[in-house]
Amino acid sequence: MSDQDPREPDAGPAADIASMEGRLELSAPADPETMELVHALLESLWVAHPDVLDVDRFRFETAVIEILANIVEHAYQLEPVDGERSPRRFEIGVAANADCLVATLGDNGLPMALDLSDVAMPEDDLAESGRGLALAVAALDDLHYERVGGRNQWTLLCRRAASA
Amino acid sequence: MIEFKVETRDDGIGVVTPQGRLNMVAARRLKEVLGGLVGDGTSRIVVDMAETTFLDSSGLGALIGGLKSARQAGGDLRVARPTESVLNVFRLTNLDRVLRPRDSVESAFDE
Repeated sequence: MSDQDPREPDAGPAADIASMEGRLELSAPADPETMELVHALLESLWVAHPDVLDVDRFRFETAVIEILANIVEHAYQLEPVDGERSPRRFEIGVAANADCLVATLGDNGLPMALDLSDVAMPEDDLAESGRGLALAVAALDDLHYERVGGRNQWTLLCRRAASA
Repeated sequence: MIEFKVETRDDGIGVVTPQGRLNMVAARRLKEVLGGLVGDGTSRIVVDMAETTFLDSSGLGALIGGLKSARQAGGDLRVARPTESVLNVFRLTNLDRVLRPRDSVESAFDE
């Protein structure tokens, strides 16, 4: 499973994004300050696709930022390697077509142990954390995670609402 | 980047206005701002979200943290004038009941 060629296309939106015209890509260190770069990347996507409705922009941006925050936090939890943290980077690609918005996020952090079908909001309404992945799942039509070639690979899909 | 406008009104209510995106980086600062107000004796706080263009789960966490510390100090934290983007996140997380948005900053503590 994990030793397949990371470039080998697999089923689903991950394969689709590479063929989507006008996709935007960014590779950067996985640190909190990188958030602003990703917000800017999404602004560029909206400039290129002014017909994307606000409701879809909100959902998509929410999910992308939550997954990125998950990657950043996860990267920061790593144990020091030889006294120093190894550099953690991520790549993001975003694209839009008439039907959907797609993002792929990849990082070289530790494998995630998670079951996306089991993600839920905290039972305690006053919990201060633990909503990130549940919020991403709620905002998206599909969220897919896999470990490919020693990397974490996330694929996010948001089907666009029919315009008025 | 985000800026926080903070003022304490004559009636003792603190008004915090986050201007920009309330994400992971900004959430830490909001937590400090809210904690500082409560620590200084301002336990009734309105967060005016009319200029908050984006909110994520860490920003939500900072709001809930502020709500809890304000209540522990005998006050409350209320959210006013959320943008559509912020409201969307409240709904997706079912927190629109806990952080029930008010229509105006001035009347946020009227009931």
